[in-house]
Amino acid sequence: MTKILSSDSVNVIQKNFLQVLLRGDGRDQFNQIIAKETSINPPSKNLEISSDDKYIFAKNSFDQWSLLYLVEQDYKKILKIVENLNMNDEILASDYSYGQVYFEISGNNKNEFLNKLTNFDLRPKKFPVSTMAQTLIARIDCSIYNLKDKYIVTCNKSYEEYFKNRLVDINNLS
Amino acid sequence: MSAINNKNCKYISQKEIKITFDGKSYSALDGDTVASALLRNNIRLIGRSFKYHRPRGIYTCGIEEPNALVQILNEHNEPNTRATIKRTYDGINISSQNRWPSLAFDIGSINNILSPIFSAGFYYKTFMGPKGFWKKIYEPLIRRTAGLGKPPKNFRSKSIHQNHNVDILIVGGGLSGLIAARKLIDTNNEVLIIEQDCFLGGILKNSNKVKSIDGKNVFEWVNETEKLILGSKNIKILKNTLVTTYNFTNHLIALEDKFAGKKIDTNKSELTLHKIRTTHTILANGHIERFISFRNNDLPGVMLASSFEKYIERYGVAPDEKPVIFSNNSSTISLVKSLINLGCKPSAYIDSRNKNDIEDETKDYLLKNNIPFYPESEVEGCEGNKKVEKVYIRGSNKEISSINTSMLCPSGGFNPDIHLFTQSKGLVKWDDKIISFKPDTAFQNTITLGSVSGNYEFKNLCNEINKKLSFLKVNDLNLDIETNIRDDFSISELWETKTNKMSKWSKSFIDLHNDVTTKDLKQAINEGYDRIEHLKRYTTNSMGTDQGKISSINSLGIVSKILNKKIEEVGTTTYRPPYAPLSFGAIAGRSTYEYYDPERKTPIHNWHIKNNAVFEDVGQWKRPWYFKKDESESMHQAVQRESKQTRQTAGIIDGSTLGKIEIKGKDALEFMNLMYTNAFTKMKPMTSRYALMLGEDGMIMDDGIVCKINDKHFIATTTSSGAPKVLSHMEEFLQTEWPHLQVFLNSITEQFTTFNISGPKAREIISKVFTDIDFNNEKFPFMTFKTFDYKNTQARIMRASFTGELGYEIYISPKHALELWEQLFNYGKEFNLVPYGTETMHLLRAEKGYVVIGQETDGTVTPLDLNFNWMIGKKKKDFIGKRSLTRSDTAREDRKQLVGVVPIDKSLFIEEGQHIVECENLPNKIKTPIEYLGHISSSYHSPNLNHCISMAMIKNGNKLKGKKLFVSTSKGTKNIPVEVVSPVFIDPENKRLVS
Repeated sequence: MTKILSSDSVNVIQKNFLQVLLRGDGRDQFNQIIAKETSINPPSKNLEISSDDKYIFAKNSFDQWSLLYLVEQDYKKILKIVENLNMNDEILASDYSYGQVYFEISGNNKNEFLNKLTNFDLRPKKFPVSTMAQTLIARIDCSIYNLKDKYIVTCNKSYEEYFKNRLVDINNLS
Repeated sequence: MSAINNKNCKYISQKEIKITFDGKSYSALDGDTVASALLRNNIRLIGRSFKYHRPRGIYTCGIEEPNALVQILNEHNEPNTRATIKRTYDGINISSQNRWPSLAFDIGSINNILSPIFSAGFYYKTFMGPKGFWKKIYEPLIRRTAGLGKPPKNFRSKSIHQNHNVDILIVGGGLSGLIAARKLIDTNNEVLIIEQDCFLGGILKNSNKVKSIDGKNVFEWVNETEKLILGSKNIKILKNTLVTTYNFTNHLIALEDKFAGKKIDTNKSELTLHKIRTTHTILANGHIERFISFRNNDLPGVMLASSFEKYIERYGVAPDEKPVIFSNNSSTISLVKSLINLGCKPSAYIDSRNKNDIEDETKDYLLKNNIPFYPESEVEGCEGNKKVEKVYIRGSNKEISSINTSMLCPSGGFNPDIHLFTQSKGLVKWDDKIISFKPDTAFQNTITLGSVSGNYEFKNLCNEINKKLSFLKVNDLNLDIETNIRDDFSISELWETKTNKMSKWSKSFIDLHNDVTTKDLKQAINEGYDRIEHLKRYTTNSMGTDQGKISSINSLGIVSKILNKKIEEVGTTTYRPPYAPLSFGAIAGRSTYEYYDPERKTPIHNWHIKNNAVFEDVGQWKRPWYFKKDESESMHQAVQRESKQTRQTAGIIDGSTLGKIEIKGKDALEFMNLMYTNAFTKMKPMTSRYALMLGEDGMIMDDGIVCKINDKHFIATTTSSGAPKVLSHMEEFLQTEWPHLQVFLNSITEQFTTFNISGPKAREIISKVFTDIDFNNEKFPFMTFKTFDYKNTQARIMRASFTGELGYEIYISPKHALELWEQLFNYGKEFNLVPYGTETMHLLRAEKGYVVIGQETDGTVTPLDLNFNWMIGKKKKDFIGKRSLTRSDTAREDRKQLVGVVPIDKSLFIEEGQHIVECENLPNKIKTPIEYLGHISSSYHSPNLNHCISMAMIKNGNKLKGKKLFVSTSKGTKNIPVEVVSPVFIDPENKRLVS
């Protein structure tokens, strides 16, 4: 966990999460396999997320899900889940843990702050709690998860430095 | 006459500040604009005109200003700043522009003396020859003498962008905008109000026209309204912000001056470009006063009447005690009342309207205050030396009389400010009552309120707003608006007054900014430019940075009279964004310099920096181009060293940027057979294959290595820059053409860091790192791969090479990438393992005859052209591009084909991109076409062969091997003799590769 910036109205912290990206048809068999391996039921509605303190399970699109582990896990366990899931023809599971970076953005002004970097409509009526979106932030592909009082934003690791610089830059200039 | 302060003005502080104009210090009040500050100091000459360098003053009090443009020296030398909106602060340093050596004595004003020859179309007719004069003489001269300010130098923009998503955007925080906002307080609509000034109120603060609202004075009412809005849960206000653009789908752009009235903090953003997406747009952006054309209507001291009133009411300064007022409408009496309230009195009130049409209240008021009144009269012209000194009046009896005065305030009526409405593609219509165009049919969800909709009657305003906003189902609001003037607007048409005194240097301007006269319009029409769009371009009328805000309708009026047409038949020119100029810096925001493009870095980027890598951009990736051994080593030396060392012992490259796609599903094999030219059916599990992907046109789109885990699971690599394209290409075909296939795809580019170690010592080095793996040739042959556990993560090693040497490609989690990379170097030290960059990679692969997509291919190259017939699964039923390969053009044998080329004189170097021809020399002047056989696609000096090697695409190349041809050079007409050879220069038997 690294503090990227902190002000009265916005806080950005980089987190170390583990992630599995899943592809499949979302039918009963798929759901059963996932539930069996992960002990979590995948959400069925597009862009919906189910979450608690330990995980976020999001349906990114009609055939794609992402499962983020928010608390420290044994990485071997994640790889085992991936391996077990890939035993089934109906599922493609890819370990996304270290190829992505994760930022927790909170504070009263988080929407205004993020809207300096994205035109995505973050208003609660357009982006409700417990939903996710894949959009451009600072001109790069990001996923954003709405967890009520905070957002989790993820992007490819290769953009890590650029993205962090943009977050700090926009905060300093505002 | 001198300016006097209006101490009752509530919008300006009495705190004194110091400003500098043209090197001289002046006192101003905190809150002044540059214009109000200069007027307060009785400075009327502000600049010189664009073309004739005529002396110019302050004409307006807002964004519509055509004359008073200044340069702000202490703000990065920002040019073309409108003095009428730029707020001052203590220490601001302002300079006039477009004059030399000084504002008072400007050599460029010789243009005014020569002005009789600078008529409309002068440039088009005059600068035709002699040849070469345009570039060397005319253009530099014109650019020096005509123009605006000097551009800023060494300026790094600090503007940022802010996106908004709202339900309703209200453009303009004036009376109409505030009434609309009051109706929307605490509703479910998210509302944003944008106001260009730092105060709300619009006409309520800019004039004396409204006396009270609901019994409260206007200042109190505006404050109360602002408080209600700020206390609401749903409305935000942006001040000092100007909406410049109204795009399609209710997307608007507005520019906020974050440091209005404050010294710039260079660590903060100076400007914010707001990008607003809204469901409904309420335009309440008011109106703009028109001027009237008369002789010398550009002299400093001529100022629009409502602007004069705005200076009194908004900025607390009356620029003159006794101006002459000249009007064709009923609104101007408000200025007279403002002056009287201040203890001043106009020298004369000239009204062109018929005496019977002039309101009794106006006549009584003028009489009561003993103001000289000229009904049914007009200003013939004015004269003076760099300022108004005398005004000539043509009375109702057509006699000319004169008055000495230093200011003249014309008012030609008002134009609804339809600029944004027309940008939104709304249609306008002509209204004879207000003699102007007003909004008619909206194209988007646009509502116009108040004077922008052509409603100049205050008492009717609430009705209009209630009616137009009824669809929002909000409560009606009825306010009692009491005015100081008659509410029914009356106007008579007057565009230009007749000039009596004929002088070649007296001019009646129609466009003050671009120095276009009414005579120019007439001349253009005489010359056949009778369409308004043609006329605009021929004369440059309304093409200045003010876009003719105070004059464009006047020009339509004049043109319609000449053409004997109605104005609506003449039509308007197109209103284009932006509404007012905004800098490129503001548009660019932070997408400049270090943030010009997002940057991607591999997990071992910092190691590369520490080891003197010089980077090149590959897509958004930063890839090491070459590694400098020391400061003195050139790129050529580094590349030669790296490639020689790799062939002698071993070299390693960071290939993390390669695209990687995981493909899985019960139909994965069928899918791969369809996507690539290769046949994968008989391919053994845990082997890999170099594969080609074609477009539907049969042309090579991308290449890579496909690893087959089993028939249901593959991993494919792509080129670095082609990864997103290939993945979306695959997804598109899966979802649209073959939805019956059960296949799933994931990009795993970022999940695996990739190194490729190659060279004769590669096996020895890698064996020391991965001691559990048997790298023996038989156990681990070429184009096979193994997966294994590395520190609790899954890693993969593939036997592959892009250098032609024994090579291994390692795929490892980014978590352990740097550690493994350093470990390889530790073990590689004894073998002089060398890191190499993309340039060396290109050289090594060219020696081996390997192609690079985008270098040997250019979207017109088929696999057959590269002699890749062996890569096409001929027994396959289908694959993307298959049908196209049998088209007559793609199948013909004389297409350009890949060959090698070497210079016959081995000391010579062949340049990439040069043409291949059959002639030894090119003529000095090419009169007849020379047959072009092909081009050099890659060319390097091979340190291993010690001469230049090139790859080329040559027409019918396969049949030309052994033939002597010639390659052009960039240096002269003598071509380099070359021999066409095989493109494989090193190890054609693959002994090194499979060793």
